This record gives sequence, C-alpha cells and structure tokens, in this order.
Amino acid sequence: MTGRRRRTAAVIASVALGSSLLAACGGSSGKPTLNWYINPDGQDTLNQLAERCSTDDYDIAIQLLPASATDQRTQLARRLAAGDSSTDLMSLDPVFVPEFANAKWLRPFEGEQADAVLDDDVLKGAAETVTWNDQIVAAPQWANTQVLWYRKSLARAAGLDMSKPVTWDQVIDAASQEGGTVGVQANKYEAYVVWINSLIQGAGGHILDPSTVEDGRDAKVTIDSQAGKEAAAVIQKLARSKAAQPDLTTSNEGTSLGQMFPQQGPGEFMTNWTFVYKNYEGLVGKPGGPADEEQLKDLGWARYPQTVEGEESRPPIGGIDIGVGAFSKHPDFAQEAAVCVTNAEAQRDLAVNEGLMPARQSVYDSAALKEAYPADLLALWADSIDTGGPRPKSAFYSQISSAIQSVWHSPRQVDPDTTPKKSADFLGAVLRGEALL
Amino acid sequence: MNKNALTRVGTLVGFVLILLWCLLPVAWIISLSFKSQEAVTNGSPGFFPQSGGGAGWQNYVDVLQDEQFRRAILNSIGISLTATILSVALATLTAYAVARLEFQGKKFVLTTALVIAMFPVVSLVGPLFDMWRTFGIYDTWIGLIIPYMSFTLPLAIWTLSAFFREIPWEMEQAAQVDGATSWQAFRKVIVPLAAPGVFTAAILTFFFAWNDFVFGISLTSTERARPIPAALSFFVGADPFNRPASLLAAGAVVATVPVILLVLFFQRKIVAGLTAGAVKG
Amino acid sequence: MSTSTVNRASDRSRGENRLALKLVAPAVALMLLVTAFPMLRALYLSFFSYSLTAPDEREFVGLDNYATALTDGLFWRDTGNTVFIMVVTVAVELVIGFAFAMVMHRLVFARGLVRTSILIPYGIITVVSGFAWQFAFSNTNGFVNSWLPFVSSDFNWFASYESSMVAIMVSEIWKTTPFMALLLLAGLAQVPEDMLEAAKVDGATWWQRLWKVILPNMRAAIMVAVLFRALDAYRIFDNIFVMTAGANNTESISFLTYRQVIEQFQLGIGSALSVLLFLSVLVVAFLIVKIFRVNLADARQEA
Repeated sequence: MTGRRRRTAAVIASVALGSSLLAACGGSSGKPTLNWYINPDGQDTLNQLAERCSTDDYDIAIQLLPASATDQRTQLARRLAAGDSSTDLMSLDPVFVPEFANAKWLRPFEGEQADAVLDDDVLKGAAETVTWNDQIVAAPQWANTQVLWYRKSLARAAGLDMSKPVTWDQVIDAASQEGGTVGVQANKYEAYVVWINSLIQGAGGHILDPSTVEDGRDAKVTIDSQAGKEAAAVIQKLARSKAAQPDLTTSNEGTSLGQMFPQQGPGEFMTNWTFVYKNYEGLVGKPGGPADEEQLKDLGWARYPQTVEGEESRPPIGGIDIGVGAFSKHPDFAQEAAVCVTNAEAQRDLAVNEGLMPARQSVYDSAALKEAYPADLLALWADSIDTGGPRPKSAFYSQISSAIQSVWHSPRQVDPDTTPKKSADFLGAVLRGEALL
Repeated sequence: MNKNALTRVGTLVGFVLILLWCLLPVAWIISLSFKSQEAVTNGSPGFFPQSGGGAGWQNYVDVLQDEQFRRAILNSIGISLTATILSVALATLTAYAVARLEFQGKKFVLTTALVIAMFPVVSLVGPLFDMWRTFGIYDTWIGLIIPYMSFTLPLAIWTLSAFFREIPWEMEQAAQVDGATSWQAFRKVIVPLAAPGVFTAAILTFFFAWNDFVFGISLTSTERARPIPAALSFFVGADPFNRPASLLAAGAVVATVPVILLVLFFQRKIVAGLTAGAVKG
Repeated sequence: MSTSTVNRASDRSRGENRLALKLVAPAVALMLLVTAFPMLRALYLSFFSYSLTAPDEREFVGLDNYATALTDGLFWRDTGNTVFIMVVTVAVELVIGFAFAMVMHRLVFARGLVRTSILIPYGIITVVSGFAWQFAFSNTNGFVNSWLPFVSSDFNWFASYESSMVAIMVSEIWKTTPFMALLLLAGLAQVPEDMLEAAKVDGATWWQRLWKVILPNMRAAIMVAVLFRALDAYRIFDNIFVMTAGANNTESISFLTYRQVIEQFQLGIGSALSVLLFLSVLVVAFLIVKIFRVNLADARQEA
C-alpha cells in the first residue's frame, strides 16, 4: 500500500521536476531539454533512466501520456501531424510503429546508432517491430507477453494437469466447475484485439494475410476462416459460462487482478502480461493480494492456452519501442538518448523493478534477473516472446484494430457463425475506405 | 384546509427531493474522493468509504502535488478568463446597440447569435485542427481562446441584451439633454448601471468556457494548454490499468470548487441571467 | 418646424445606425470568423480523400465521402441514438423540471438555499458529472446497485446497450434539469395570479387549472426551453466520451465525427461528417420550430 503511495509521490515529484526544467530551458540558449513522452508503465524506473541518460549536452524531461494505447497514439500523432519540434523521444506501442514510420514521423537510426539499437542480442519478436521499409525506425526497449496465471489449488481441485499445455475449453470448464472465474481483457479497447489475435493465430489463422499485410489498404482480409470461427467459439463459450467475470465486457488488465486472491471463492485463471508477478509479490498481506507468502506460492503460471487442442498457442506480444521525432530540434542528441534508455542496463532495471521484460537475450541471462524471478517463469516468458503471435504489421493498424473492436465487442454477442464473416466484410470495407469507423 | 395542508406537504417533499437531486451526486463524488486508491482498485462498493478503505486527505495531497493537474487548473483559469473578458467586452457593445439603438440588421445580429449558439462544436474541431497546425497555434492558449469565442460570445450577447432592456434609459436621455453625446452618455451613465448585468454575463460565460471539453481534448496534446476537463479524462494514476477513481474524484472536487464559490456568492444574479432570455421583463 | 424636426430625426437615426454598426461589427465578425470560416474549410476538405497519416495521398473525390457516410449503417445508427437521447432526456427534463419549478414557485422558505443548490449541477463540468455517475453505476465501486431493489450487486451497467444508455442519460438529465427548471420557473412567474384565482373560484380542478391556465400562459417559456435543450442534447459528446467511449453502440453523431477526425485522422470523410452534423442540427432546429410552432421572436427575446 505504502509502496504504491511512495511510487506515486516519486512519480509526481519527478514529473514536477521535469516540467520545471522544461519551463526553465524552453527556447533559451542554455542546455537543451529533450522531451520524452512515456506511457504510464514503469514510471519510476523511466524517471531514473531519464536522469541517468541526461548528459552535459542535454537533459531529458519525462512527459506522461494517457493510459490507453489508443489515446497514447492519438496524442503523439496529433503532435507529429502538427510538425511539433518538441517531441524528441517517444515510447511507442509496437503496433503503431508502422503507421508513424509510414507518415515519416520517425527519424530512422543510421550507422553506429542503428547497430547499437539492433544487434544480434535483440529477440527476434522485438526486432521485427522496429523495422519499416528496410529502415530501423525505433529502438526496442522492452518486450511483453501474456501467460496463463492461475491458482494452483483451483487447477488441482478441478483435476486439470497444468504440466501439459491446456486449452481455453479446459480452463473455462475447470473454472466454472469449481466456482472460479477466468480473467481476460474484453473491454472495447486494444487489449481485446490482442486476445482475439492470439486466439485466431492459436488456431493457425490470421486477421490479415501475412504476405500482404504490409501492403496497407491492399492487404487481404483472412479473418473469416476456420481459425476465426474457433476464436469466436472460445469467446462465446466464456461469455456464456459461469466462469465469466461480471465485468467481462468492460474488463481490462487491472480489473481481473483482484479476482486471483478474493476473500471468498477459489480464485481464477487469468491471461495477463508479465507485470502480474511483481504486482502480487508487492501485495502480500494487502487487500487484493495474497494473504501471506504461503498463498503467493499458490500462484501458478503456464503457457498461454491453446485455441485448438494440439495446436501450439501463439501468446500475445507487446512492449515498447522508443522512437525519435522527425521534427526534433536535436535529433542527434535524441537518438543518442534513445540508445541509452534502451541499453541492456536500462532493460535490466525495467525488468527487475517494474516487471517489464527485456527485449535482449543477454538480459534474460543476467544474474539480476535470475535473482528477481523464478527460473521457470523467465524461461516461459522468453519462450512466449520467441514463439508469440504479433498483431498485423500495417500502417493502418489503428483502423484495423478499431474495425475488429467494433464488430467483436461486446463479447456477449460474439457468434462463430456470424462474427468472423461480419468482421471480414467490415474490415475489408474500412481498408478500402468505403465504411465509416 | 385539508387541501392546503396537502399542498404544503407536497411542497416540502419536493423541497427535499430537489436538495437530494442536486446535492447527492456531489456528496457522492466527495465521498469517493476519500476512498483509498487501494480500496478502489480492489473494489469497494457503497456510498461511503468502508472501514479501513478511507484515504483521509491523501488523494487531495496527491492531486495538488501533481504538476500536470496544477498546470491544467492554471490553463483553465487563464483560457476561460481571457475568453470571458474578450467575449463580454465585445458583447457589451453589441448588446447596447441591440437594446438601445434602432438600426437595420438588428434581427440579423440576434439570429446570428442564436444560430451560432446552437452550432455543433464537434463540426468545428476537424477544420480547426487542420488550420491550427498550419498556423502553429495548435496546443496553445490562443488556439483555445479563439474557438471558445464561438460559444461564449453568443451567450454573452444573449444575456447582456436581456439585461440592457431593463436599464432605465431615460437617464441617458437626461444626460444627452445636458449636452453629452451618445458615446459620452453611454460611457458615463450607462456603463455603471449596466455593470451588474455585465458581471453576471461574465460569470455565465466563464461557466461555459470552464465546462468545455471538445476543444480541450482536440486542440491540445500536452499540459501546455490542456484545460481541466481534458486533463481529468486523461488522468493517469500509479496503476496504469485502473482509472484512479478516487484520485480523479479529488481532482473533480477541486475543479468544482471555483464553480461552487461563484454560485454561492452570486446565486441571485446567475438565476436572473439564466432566465433573462425566457422572460421579457 | 416640422421639416427641421424630421431632418434632425433622420440625422439622429442615421447617426444611430452608424454607431450601432460600429458597436455590433466586431462581435459579428468574430462570430462568423470562428464558425463560418472553419465550416467553409470543412466543406472544402469534405470533397477530398485525405488522411493526416498519409498526407501525400490526398485526392479530390467529389461527393464520394457524402455517399459513403449517407449509405453507411453506422451513420444512421448513431443519428438514431442521438435523436433517441435527445427525445428522452428533453421529455424527462421537461417533466421533472416542471415539477421542480412548481415546488420552487410555491416555496416560501429557504428560497436562496434551493436556488443555490439547483445551480450546482448546472455549474458542474459535464466531464465531472460523467465520472460521478460512471463511478456511481460501477459494480465495483458504486452505490447504485446496492440502493436499487431488484438489481444484483454485481450487475454491470456498462455491459449492454440499454443499461449503458440509461447511465448516460441519467448523467445528462441530472446536469441539465436545473437549467430547465429555472427557465420554467421564470415562465411560471408570468402566469397571472388573478386568472388562477378566477379559475379556482369557478371550481376548476388542479388538473384543469394546470392545462387550461398555467401551461398555455407558459407556452413561450416552455418552447424556448425545449428548443435550447433539444439542440444542446443533440450535440451530446462529453458524457459518452467519459462513460462508455462509444462501447456497446452508444455512440452519438458528434462522437462519430470526433473519432473520424481526431482519432483516425480521416480529415476528408470527417469533414463530410462535420458538414452533415451541422446540417442535421439545422434540420432538427427547423423541425422543432415547425412542429412546436416556436415563436423565434420569443427566442430572440423581442418584445
């Protein structure tokens, strides 16, 4: 409790400091200030990084973006569309990198800095997110993935063998049989698309044909397939099951956290990002967390559930890439700073302090991480990122995502017979510019 | 007798209902602002904070220490005040002409104000965004003050015209008989008489500017110019996944304090100003 | 004598005219500048396919954007939503607002207290009202579920269209009823007391007095209040943005336009929607004026 409070205070203090620096330095002839627009994950460590990576030549000031990925994109895109020169560094959700790069809002890394940003150490899944038209347009800072978090006691009571891959069907049945729940993200927002995308890929399909996805408006829509139907079937099953949480249709990454260790009931199965581990570790004995260390040991983790039995699941991939604004007044400094805030040391701190996992293999292998996390969890994460299913890499991703959301939400209305077909028609029309979003 | 008693009881019940209607949600947001953030994250239903789920003044401390929020207050005050002063100044001239002078085009002025008061602000957002980024006044105070005039100016003209109709203009004539010109009569005699109306119009206009959301979220992107309503809607707490409900409530209460103070001090005048349009004195 | 009076009078009226134009010009010019100018710009942009994220691909497409919008189910669904919200909120506000006005009119004590209280919802920021009600209806942190009978404590108001719309409209109605009540209160003051007394003496019931004496005498006030509030409700945006962000098909036409322009950066079709929104406001205003026979002179406050 106090931990969070302190965190808030620290964040507020450093934001305040950053802004006063900004005010002091803006436009004057002194040392330039680079503005770094961050998303709210891991604010404490990002503030430390900003301080550490400030040099004699420049200071880095943190500017906070809104919480949702869509709002973050909107805020940044509006600044960049206005040709804003004070957007120096920005934390970008990887799915929006192609759009920004395509609009020429990102300054590509070249030469030495390109080599520093993207070397062999960077995990393949993360590396793929920062290239566009054969240029390196951003630097991977951390990588994210989802696993299945659960109460061991709940799985045991339901007789579910978690040592082998489990399917969504099994998880939903197990939870409803024992009076537990299944936590997902199904509000009308980006993470719902994350879920849908992983379900479809888990059944061997794709929202857009991968070989044409980079063609923007000309990409081929393939969501109306057997895989799309399998995905819809899972969502329908959960929505109709007793195991659905009451706020299913407005659920996000935070809403189901409290269901893991409820005051009554056996807890839940939950697909969620890597931060969950640190979250519960910090909540031992506090409301919303495990009652004691003993109960924390009841928290289990397994690979993301399979959509179809026997077909390997494709866990979601997320994270943050650091881009440099194309209109920055100090592009060289900004790129230097981008390299600094994404180096191995920075990634290690984000992982150890904030539960935000590295995009570099060497950091997974470091002693600091091995000390902070159970070895099997680290291995599970690295494996999930390596074999995960990324969302469509398109300059029109934001429209694609909105189109999916508007047909697939609410999860209570999802129907395998109609939803994939309807969303294919709508997505096609949106890409062709024939339908309103 | 019986009927009268019934009416009185009915009025009393209505009185209580009105107070509940107006104040209950306000009490709720205040109560919510005293729930601790942990309690809110884990779910704490009910009107009042549960035992152990109270936060004391912590949420207010956090909110007031938040630089973004303080900037938003400053922005809102600065932008709303400027828009108010400009609108009221221009509207005073217009309303004087409308109420006092006979001239061609009076109907046009009033109809224009009426139509523009009903203008869908969202329609303006797209072209303004596109123009502002070209002019370089995107995300600045002036970039908000100008569009605010689209709704503050008609409102001010509206309210002031109604007020000015009530002014005893004979005094102006008396002054003119004493040899003053129209302009002098306006400045020396009418302005002091009109001041209370102008002041009321200013308060109402300020309310509208303070309330704006559409321009606030569309034409800003940082704390450089972002006003309070927009800042509240983007409020980010320590936990990125949950809206910090109680912190937000504290922010909402802070944002509402100026409004409540204005209402408390100028209640009589505001009511008069609001209803001026519907009643012809 | 008569000629000189006429000359002086016309001199004066010419002078008055000139002064009036000088006084009026800045405000009128500014009003047109901040509305008509952007609207013309929107009209121009609406003929292009133009996305800010691909500015080089801007091309002239004529009326295509309008065709797309007007043949799109989403546009009509959102227009339907908007009209629905407008009709329901204005109707409810009219009834409650009238009841409040009657109470305030009769009230002999605590008038200041009531008027101060009733101004508070009016003065509160719409966004704050939206948040207050969103949290009040929340099944995890709110109180509505526990106060309402027949509603289970974990009922999620924001899970379906109907209940989300209820929540949005409650917030809208809560905030704007006081405005309605005050306008109607001013109208009530216009009802001649002696007519009411006469009706009473004639043995008219309360109901008859309401319909035969009170309401007809308040007609102007009611119609002006309905016109203003209806057009205000038609522009609903803030509450929807805050409470559902358009989830469960609760979008209004303003929200749709905002999303095209500001979130998707589709300035072409977004501008077409802006123009359509403006035109639809004119249509709504026209219909209200015609159907309810609102006297525009009342609205313009002409005696």
